[in-house]
Amino acid sequence: MKNVQPPRLAVALLNRFLPDNEPLVGDLLEEFAVRKSRVWLWRQVVLALLMDAFRNRVEVRPLKLVDRPPLEVKRPDIRPWTRTVNLTGSPLPGVGGLSLVILVTLMTIVSPQLWCLVLGLALVLMRRHTGLRRLDGDSGSPLHLVGP
Amino acid sequence: MPRDLLTDFELMILLATLRAADDAYGVTIAREIERTGGRTVVLGAVYAALDRLERNRMVTSDVGDPTPERGGRAKRFFRVTPEGIRAVKDMQRALVALWTGIPELKGTRT
Repeated sequence: MKNVQPPRLAVALLNRFLPDNEPLVGDLLEEFAVRKSRVWLWRQVVLALLMDAFRNRVEVRPLKLVDRPPLEVKRPDIRPWTRTVNLTGSPLPGVGGLSLVILVTLMTIVSPQLWCLVLGLALVLMRRHTGLRRLDGDSGSPLHLVGP
Repeated sequence: MPRDLLTDFELMILLATLRAADDAYGVTIAREIERTGGRTVVLGAVYAALDRLERNRMVTSDVGDPTPERGGRAKRFFRVTPEGIRAVKDMQRALVALWTGIPELKGTRT
C-alpha cells in the first residue's frame, strides 16, 4: 500500500528554497495526492529547484562598510575593481567557500603548472595594491607613484 | 509579421490556458498539455514559462483562496490577455504558412 503523505524532506526543500512560489508548491502537493508517486514528486521538486536556481541567479555583492568617497573619484585613472570590499574571505569576487575549494582542486589536478602563473599574478596585484594603499594614505604627494 | 514568435512550449501553455478558461492554474494547464500533447510536463517549467509570458504581458494572474487539500496554499489563476491571443494567432499564421509550403504534407491525414 502506498503512502499518500508527501515526503517530508521534499516539502521542507520546497518551503526552504521556494518560499515565494506558494502556488507551485500547492500544485505539486495537489497533484501528488492524485498520482501518489514519490518518484514523480521528487523529479518535480528537483527540477523545480534547479530551474529556480538558474532563473534567479542574482549577484550578491558585499556591503560597503566604510563610508568614504570611492577611490576613482579622487583618481579617475584607477580601475574600479581595486576598491571592491571583499568580505567572503575569497580572493576571487563571486567565488567563495566550496566553489573555491573545487576550483583549486580542479586546477591542481588538471594543470598544476598554472599555479606559477597564479602566484606571479598575485605578486603583481599585491604590489600594485600596496602601491595604491600608499597612494590613498599619502595625500601629500600622490603624483609621484602613478603616471599620467 | 510578429516581432517575437512564441516557443512551442509557450504556445502550448497559452492554448492550454485558453482551454482551461476560468479554471486555469498550474495543475489544470499541465494536465491539459499532458492530455493533448502526450508529453510529461514539469510544473516548475510551466510556472517558469507562465512567469515569462506574464512579464511579456501575454497572461495575467490572480491568487485565489488557500485550500486545505493543497496544504493551505493558494492557487494562482492565469488568464490570457489580448496581446497573448494576438501572439497565438500570429504563431498560427506563421505555422500554417510554413505548413502549406511543404507539398508532401498538403492534405495528408494521420
